[in-house]
Amino acid sequence: MQDDIAVPVRPLRRDRSEALLAFAEALARVAASGGGAQALAGHLAAAIDAAVLVEDAQWRHLAVAGTGERAIPPSVRDLLPKDADGEESVALASPGMPRARAYPLRAGEARLGWLSVFPTGTRSLEERTGLIRLTALQIAVELSRDAGGGRGRRRGFWDRLLARAYEDPLEAREDAQARGIALAPGYVAVAVEGEGLDETVAAQRNAEIRRVCLDTLGSRTGDVVVVERGGGFFFLVPAPLEVDAANARTAATMIPRGMHRAGLDVKVVGGVGRHAEMIGVARSVDEAHEAMIIARRMFGGGRVIPYDDLGVYPLLHRTGATREDWRTFATRVLDPLRAYDDKHQTELVRTLKLFFDVGQNIKEAAAKLNVHRHTVFYRLRQIGEIGRLDLDSPHDQLTVRAALAVDELDG
Amino acid sequence: MRWVRLAFVDVLGIEKSVSIPVSELDRALAGNVTFDGGSIDGFVRGEEIDMVLRPDAATFTVLPWTTDGQVEARVLCDIETPDGTPFEGDPRSTLKRVLEDAGDVLQTLRAGLEVEFYLFALDADGMPSTRTSDAGSYFDFSASDRGEEARLATSVALEAMGIPVSSAHHEHGAGQHELDLAAATVLATADRLVTVRGVVKRIAERYGLHATFMPKPLEAQAGSGLHIYFALGEIDEVVRLHAVAGLLEHAAGFTAICNPTVNSYKRLVAAWDAPVYTVWSHHSANALVRVPPAFGGEPPLIEVRSPDAACNPYLAMAVLVEALADGVRTRSLPGDPFTGSTYELGDRFRAEHGIRQLPKSLRQALAALEEDLVIRGALGDHIYHAFRDAKLAEYERYRRAVHPWEREAYLRTF
Repeated sequence: MQDDIAVPVRPLRRDRSEALLAFAEALARVAASGGGAQALAGHLAAAIDAAVLVEDAQWRHLAVAGTGERAIPPSVRDLLPKDADGEESVALASPGMPRARAYPLRAGEARLGWLSVFPTGTRSLEERTGLIRLTALQIAVELSRDAGGGRGRRRGFWDRLLARAYEDPLEAREDAQARGIALAPGYVAVAVEGEGLDETVAAQRNAEIRRVCLDTLGSRTGDVVVVERGGGFFFLVPAPLEVDAANARTAATMIPRGMHRAGLDVKVVGGVGRHAEMIGVARSVDEAHEAMIIARRMFGGGRVIPYDDLGVYPLLHRTGATREDWRTFATRVLDPLRAYDDKHQTELVRTLKLFFDVGQNIKEAAAKLNVHRHTVFYRLRQIGEIGRLDLDSPHDQLTVRAALAVDELDG
Repeated sequence: MRWVRLAFVDVLGIEKSVSIPVSELDRALAGNVTFDGGSIDGFVRGEEIDMVLRPDAATFTVLPWTTDGQVEARVLCDIETPDGTPFEGDPRSTLKRVLEDAGDVLQTLRAGLEVEFYLFALDADGMPSTRTSDAGSYFDFSASDRGEEARLATSVALEAMGIPVSSAHHEHGAGQHELDLAAATVLATADRLVTVRGVVKRIAERYGLHATFMPKPLEAQAGSGLHIYFALGEIDEVVRLHAVAGLLEHAAGFTAICNPTVNSYKRLVAAWDAPVYTVWSHHSANALVRVPPAFGGEPPLIEVRSPDAACNPYLAMAVLVEALADGVRTRSLPGDPFTGSTYELGDRFRAEHGIRQLPKSLRQALAALEEDLVIRGALGDHIYHAFRDAKLAEYERYRRAVHPWEREAYLRTF
C-alpha cells in the first residue's frame, strides 16, 4: 500500500518542484526587467488569484496588486499578532478575511518588512505557500539591493534620524554627507493622509497626493524629503530660518486647496509640526502626526492644521501630559501678550482674563477696567493678532481659558 | 475752447505737453503729431529723435481753469516711433506692456492712491517758503485756513475732471494734506496721479500757496508719502499672499523707482510711520506692505506704503505690478504677518524672519535696482539705463554739494 501511495506522490512532488522552479525563473525574469517589488507582487497576485500588499519595516507601501474590486486594509501593522517576530508567516486579524496571512521579508538577519496575502473567497493559501515564499524572498533581495544603492542609503539616513538614532548633530551630519545628503539646519514636518480612500485605488491616489503635496510645499531652500508611513506621508520641508518655517506652515495648510485645484476628488487631512533643528526633526514629525489626528477628530478632517494652532488640544490628546507640559503650554499662549504688556505698559492679559471672568460681556469688562467699550474691542483685536488667536472661535476660547486657569493655579 | 494740450511724461515723471489748436485734434488722434524726442530727458537716442504722440481719447478732459480767459483741454498720450511701434522709452507704454504681461496671473487688478503733500506760504517775493498758515494735525479742521480752502477747491476741480476723490483731510504735519483717490484701473490711476500733481499745484497757486510733493521738506515733520493700494479682486487667498511676497521680495529693487530722489531717503527713516523694513502686516502703520482686514464684504486690499509722489507714476506702477505678478508666478510666500511697530525689530529677529532693510540712500537703491533683473525687465533696457544714468548724475551732484548741516556741524569744530 505504501508503494501504491508513494508512486503517485513522487510525480506530484516532481510536478510541484517543476512548478516552483518555473515560478522562480519567472520571478527572476520579472526582477531582471526592473519592475521591482510592484511587478513581483503583481506576478504573485496573478499566479495565486489573491490581493497582495507589500510594506517595508516602516510600514511604507512598496506594492499593492490584485485588489480588483476588493478592499484590503491600508496596512497590516495593527493586524499582526502581538508576538509576530518576523521569523514565520502569521495569520492576520483581518475582519472578513480569515485566511489572510503575512509573510516576513527577510534577508539574512535583516527583517525588511511584510508581504501580506488576501485570498479570494475561502481558498486556502496552504498549497501556494511555496510561491508566496519564493516571491517574498525575491522581493527581499530587491529591497536589500535598493538599500545598498544610493536611494536606499539616503532613505536609511532619514529612517535613523526619525528613529532618534543619532547621538549628536555632528554624527548625523557626517553620516548624511557620506550618503550624499545635503542637510538643512532646520526642518518643518508635514503629515498628510488621504481620507476614505478606496483601497482598490489607494496606491494611485497616494501617488497623486504625493505629487500635489510636493508641488504645494516646493521649497526654495532645498529638496523636500518624503517619508512614507502606513497609508500616508511625512514631508520634511527644509527651513533654515523662521520665515521658511512660517512659509512651510502656510503652504501646508493650502494642500487641500491644491488637491481641489488639481481637479482631484481626494479629501486629505494633515498636520504641521513645529520648526525643529535637523537633529530634532523627529519631534516635528511626532507633532505633525498628532496635529493630523486632532485635525481629523476635532475638526472633521479635510484640513491641514499646524500644531501651533491647536492650542490646548495636543495636551488633551496626549496621555500622560505632565504639570510641566501644562505650564509650558500656558506660557506659550500667554507670554506674547505679557511681553507686549511689559513693553508697552498695556493690560492685554488683564483684559483677557476679565473678559472671560465676566462671561465675555464687553460692557461689563469695560466697566470693570474703567475704559470705553471700544477700548475693550481694540484690546481684544490686539490680543487676537499678537497671540494668533481667534477669540470668536470656541476652540481658541478653550485654549485661552485653559492657559489662564493653569496660570492661575500656578499662582 | 481753442487749444488742446497733448501731454506725456518723461522718464523722470515730469509732465510735458505740446499744445495744438482744436482743429488739429483729428490729425493728432490719427497719430500725425510729432515732437523732438531728443530734447526730452531719457528719450535721447540719436536715430529716434522724431517721436509720434498718440493721444488716448479716454483721458481727454477740460482743464478746470482758464489761461488768459482761454479754456484748455488736455489729453494724455502714448509715444510711438515713426513706424507706429510703442517707444520703449515711454513710461506710459511701459506700464501698458507690464499690465498686459501681468494679465496672465492677475486678471483683475485695480489700484487706488493716498497722496500726501504740503501747502506752504509764498514769501514776499512770491517764492515758495516752508512756512504754513496752519498748525493742524490729523483730520484737523480750520475753516479760516487757506490750506483747507485750497484742498477743498482741489477736490472739486478733480471731481470736475472725472477724478473722484474718496476723501481729503489734514495730515500729521502742519500744512500737510492728503487726498485719497478711489480705485480704478492701474493705468487710469497712474494717469490720475499725473493730473492730481498738476491740479494740486495749480489750485494752490490760486490761493497764494505753494504745493509740494517733495518727500521730506522739513526735517522735524512727517514726510509726504504716496500709499498705493491694489485690489486683486475675488482671488484665492493664497494668490494674495504670493502677491504680497512678490512686493517684499522686490522691495529693494523697486525702491529707486518709487523713491527716486535723494530727498526720498530722508523720509524713509524710523519715524512718522515711514516704512524701513520689508515687513507685511495687517495693522502696523509702519509696515512696508499692509493688508488690512476685509471691510464691507470687499476682498482685502494690498497697500504699499513706501513710495512717494516724486516718482514717475507709470514706472512706479509698472515695477509694483511686476513685483506682484512675479510673486504670483513664482508662488512666493511672505512669512507670517507682523504685529506691532517695526521700528523695534532687533537684528536677530530680522535675520530669522528674512526681513531686510530698505535702501537708505538713492545710491543704495540704484545698486539694488541693478541687481533685480525682474524689476529691470519690467522697465526695459532703454528706461532702466536712462533712469539710472540720470539718477547717478543726480546723486553725484548731491554728493558734491556742501549742505547747511555740514557747516553747522564742522565749521567751528574743525
